[in-house]
Amino acid sequence: MAEVRSRTPAAIAGNVLKYGLLAIGAFVMVAPFLDMFLGALRTPAERLAQPPVYWPQTPQWGNFLRVFDELPMGKWMFNSVFQTLVITFLQLATSAMAGFALAKYRFPGRDFIFRSILGAQMFPFFLFLIPVFFILRYFPLAGGNNLFGTGGMGFLNSYWAIFLPFAVTWYGIFLMRQFFIGLPDELMDAARLDGAGEFRIFFQIALPLVKPGLVTLAIFVFVYQWNEVIWTMTVTRTATDLQTIPVGIYLLRGAFIDQSTHSLQQAALAISILPVVVTFLLLQRYYVRGLTAGAVKG
Amino acid sequence: MTDIPSPAAGDLSLPAFQVPRRKPRLLDWFATKRVAPWVFLAPTLAFAVVFFVIPIIYAFWISLTRWDTLTPPVFVWFDNYKFLLTTDPVFWQTFWNTMYFAAASLVLGVPLAMALAYAFTRAKGQAVWRSLYWLPMITNVVAVAYIWKFIYDDRYGVLNRTLGLLGLGAPGWLTNPSLAMTSVVIVFVWMQLGHNMLLFSAGLSNIDESYYEAARLDGATEGQIFRKITVPLLMPTTLFVLITNFITGLSYFALMLALTDGNGGPLRATTTTGLYMYNMAFADLRMGRASAVAYILFAVILVVTLIQLRIFRRGGVEAH
Repeated sequence: MAEVRSRTPAAIAGNVLKYGLLAIGAFVMVAPFLDMFLGALRTPAERLAQPPVYWPQTPQWGNFLRVFDELPMGKWMFNSVFQTLVITFLQLATSAMAGFALAKYRFPGRDFIFRSILGAQMFPFFLFLIPVFFILRYFPLAGGNNLFGTGGMGFLNSYWAIFLPFAVTWYGIFLMRQFFIGLPDELMDAARLDGAGEFRIFFQIALPLVKPGLVTLAIFVFVYQWNEVIWTMTVTRTATDLQTIPVGIYLLRGAFIDQSTHSLQQAALAISILPVVVTFLLLQRYYVRGLTAGAVKG
Repeated sequence: MTDIPSPAAGDLSLPAFQVPRRKPRLLDWFATKRVAPWVFLAPTLAFAVVFFVIPIIYAFWISLTRWDTLTPPVFVWFDNYKFLLTTDPVFWQTFWNTMYFAAASLVLGVPLAMALAYAFTRAKGQAVWRSLYWLPMITNVVAVAYIWKFIYDDRYGVLNRTLGLLGLGAPGWLTNPSLAMTSVVIVFVWMQLGHNMLLFSAGLSNIDESYYEAARLDGATEGQIFRKITVPLLMPTTLFVLITNFITGLSYFALMLALTDGNGGPLRATTTTGLYMYNMAFADLRMGRASAVAYILFAVILVVTLIQLRIFRRGGVEAH
């Protein structure tokens, strides 16, 4: 039937319209990245010319290496990778455990906890910026603080200030619960009869069966956390050793004020995008699943 | 088992059945069906107390004080709220900026996403199209902001140079106060398009193919099919996208912050309420007033969220 339709003039026009629209859209999506990429390859002279040269004569591939010499790119890169991996691990662990408990056990208060987790997602992140900042600052017995939370900097200026507020994700718990709920109870009961404790059931039986769910959540958290800027910037403004690539580029923007350093800025930005693009291209089908599961809650 | 006497001294070694019971008693208790779920939930519950319940209460308390973080807070009851809602002209300016931003992103972004999803769902090579359309969405906001800053550059940005070649004017995309917010909206729509397109295409593939076939047999044109079948059946998805996008838009400020070096300019034209709050707190150190801004904005978002919950409880949930 598709073949018959594709021969009629109306169907051909429809195809032209369809692919034309998609192609124009795709161009608008991708062209800005090419503009940045061309910018990263220009020489300072090309930028200072009147008017500036758009297509670089000899592409300066060395700009991508120079950012590692002239900017703290290595440190930023380490921080981005380290922080993203730790938070991804933390969120997977807490989400899997809580999701498992809510999916596979009956206990008093379970429904209340689950409904609270759904409700917690309605609270916007900006509401937490100020109080969480000061909770970390005045945390008792942390970072030189005394029992009353004064005297030191608390968790500020340490990796804890980034890890702790991102240790749990409400959405992740919801997602993992959806995956665990599909597992048959008989599987767990059989293991119990064989004398397995609940932790063994979790680690050796349940967890391996929800691997697709874990991968979905991991990509989600990875992409989100790699790109997280507002909170990391807020708590690392004065702690340059903790800054990630995007935060570092933003806070060091004063260094890129003159035309000759713009190419370096654009090269650094290109590098900041690369890891997440690669991850995403390899694993995008899992991402689709997570996004549509997010819509399920309705 | 309990009435077995302790092993007598002598040649008898320890009875085998007593050995495994002793040592891991606490762990065994944790691993029972009754206790284990609480162990699994313990980190989440601790987090919920320290980083959810306490902050919400703490933020409200801060909003009732005047506090510059250097001297102790002064309790002022609802003075901050009163000042913001009745005296402060900037608050209302940022509020209408926020409304404009959230509404304009919908008006521009949702029809685009719907049309593209309609084409995308029937196109070949979906993985390729998807990768291209999702590139902006997985890019960090600092990169997005600087990419567009170069494109929007008044004299030498690629946009104005292209317009110049076509003999058109060169608007100050980010320097003209009456255009700046629209420029931000364009970038935001560009960032969100892939996400919305996916939600729409998920909704579209849920529509039963038989409706289309029946309509075609009756001789309906593609335009009629789109208007009479696709749009009505896609309504739940459309509502979901509209409301979630609106809520996101109301609380959003990362892009404005990165595009304008944090100042929300020119002339506060791109300062949304979220950015106003952020700068008030972390640049001006007015924690009390900033917390009040956060709570007022939260109240607005809560109203929209409750409307969303009502709509989706009433029907249309099955589409998701």
